[in-house]
Amino acid sequence: MVKRGRQFGLAIVLALASATCSAAERGTVIREAALYGSASANSQKVAPVERGRDLTVLERSDSGGQPWVKISMAADEARISREVTGWVPAQALITASTANGDQIVFGEAVSSEHQAEERGGRKGAAEDAMRLYARVPELYPGSPLAAEALWRSADIRWQLAKADFLRSGTQPEEKYLNAVIAKFPQSKQAELAAYDLLEAKLCPEWRGLAECPEKESGLFEQYAREHAQSPKAAEALYNAAWRQAALADIYRIDNEMNKSEAARKKATALAQQIAGQFAQSDWKPRAMDLTYKLEKKIPIYGQVIE
Amino acid sequence: MLTWKRSALALWVAVAIATALAQEKEQGTLISEVDMYVSPDTTSQKLARATRGRNVILVMERTNMGGRSWSHVLVVVDVDLERQSERQISGWVPSSVVVTTATPNGDQIIYGEAVDSENQAQQRGGRRHADEDAMRLYYRLYEYFPSSPLAGEALWRAADIRWQREKADTRLRPSSREMDASMREGMDETTMKLVHKKFPHTKWADLASYDLIDNKLCGSWRGEAKCPEKESDMYEKYAREHPQSPKAAEALYNAAWRQAALVDMYKAAHENDKSEKARKKSMELAQEIAGHFAESDWRPQALELIYALQQGIPTYDVENKKPIS
Repeated sequence: MVKRGRQFGLAIVLALASATCSAAERGTVIREAALYGSASANSQKVAPVERGRDLTVLERSDSGGQPWVKISMAADEARISREVTGWVPAQALITASTANGDQIVFGEAVSSEHQAEERGGRKGAAEDAMRLYARVPELYPGSPLAAEALWRSADIRWQLAKADFLRSGTQPEEKYLNAVIAKFPQSKQAELAAYDLLEAKLCPEWRGLAECPEKESGLFEQYAREHAQSPKAAEALYNAAWRQAALADIYRIDNEMNKSEAARKKATALAQQIAGQFAQSDWKPRAMDLTYKLEKKIPIYGQVIE
Repeated sequence: MLTWKRSALALWVAVAIATALAQEKEQGTLISEVDMYVSPDTTSQKLARATRGRNVILVMERTNMGGRSWSHVLVVVDVDLERQSERQISGWVPSSVVVTTATPNGDQIIYGEAVDSENQAQQRGGRRHADEDAMRLYYRLYEYFPSSPLAGEALWRAADIRWQREKADTRLRPSSREMDASMREGMDETTMKLVHKKFPHTKWADLASYDLIDNKLCGSWRGEAKCPEKESDMYEKYAREHPQSPKAAEALYNAAWRQAALVDMYKAAHENDKSEKARKKSMELAQEIAGHFAESDWRPQALELIYALQQGIPTYDVENKKPIS
């Protein structure tokens, strides 16, 4: 009984803590700002506040004819243990109560993504876009932009981690893409996330062996069958067809002519399916190009057989 | 009179024969990188390496040798635009890689190979010079299949790849920072103008017109208002004249963004009336985007600009004379 009472007490403490957390106003900034020790631009700068950082609003104040907000944020998003507090000008702060806040944060995320794609664009712009997109579903879970924003954030994180993988060897984390599938099942964004996740199952190198393209072709074909409405369905089918075409060459090099012919037929069938189903996209001519190469036995993998 | 009639008739006959011969000529391109040989045999002397999209101006003969089909072709392997010269080589290549006007679905095959090359060019570690391959392949499609439904898109893509490549080169030159566009060497407009001429009033002509604006932009604003003023006008004019263009929203946004930059420039120069006028203009343009392009990414970007204008968040760093990116 005592035990039960203690459990009840703990539940109240947790509920109160949760209520306090949910009551706190959360937001982000759409321009990089400095975190000041007090509500004055002359005070000491504590840390930079990059676009899209997850902020908790603690207090508001007017100082020097300008509105200021006291915020707390994780000092390093990778290690959330350390929180820093300080003051930022309120101009660029967007919270859940800002009118059209979802559109404004999403708009800044799009601009940052453009910056990241530009030659000589702003340093760290891709990370800015990733954080800004992530804030949209957090601050505005009912926004019509929430699913797209969550997907774009997860995709940018995935692409950055993939690029980093080549350097560091650290595998990209799948949890962010899985979160898209879990929160927005059966959506276009879930289908796109599922497509990204296929990359984790691909071989880093084929080394001329049939096993990898066999497995990969199966994965891409399965994706196309299970996600027939996905914007990536045609690309998945093409990837499956292309791998079968590569298999035709690999088996031919290994003198396994029956398997080579079977792969060639499979590649042709898949390519014809693309040409028939996706007539208005760039995938149709690509499939026809592949069909032509298969017909003419133009090698697409390995050395040219003379 | 009779002499004149005879001359005209002779000229007409000559032109007709030449046209007929040109139509009979089998021409095309290569969809794979290959070695050219002196004779139809891979053990014979290699003449050159011919890359994708090279202009096969004539297929002279075909033969079967060693169980495979060979084509004797005349290929343009090097084009010098400045000297208006080109180098042609004749030699033998496997017939399988030659796609000509006589190949069924030749337009689709060339276009498919061009898309593939374009994707390669965009990939980290993709094939070297794949963008040039794509540019040539797209152009060949237009050149040899002018009535293909893919011809307009192909010519536009060829022109755009050329444009983007030249733009990247131009940016490396010191003259790229010249404020006045006439003080620097711009991108060659020939292929873009060909898009206009061959496919007027189409989506591709609209896209070509948008690229051409690049040549009229200031290399650097240097903190002077005349550049964003002029550029804002050009972008707005484009959006008004090409309302159906896929670039109409982007053009309006560029116009609105430049007006927002002018707000900061005029404010710093204590020209408050002009600053306020620019702010109103920027707001109007941004609201137009939000209203007309509700389903695109330009709407949230326009709403973000409106918010920045309302809150007085600067767009242009007047002190350092550069846009706040």
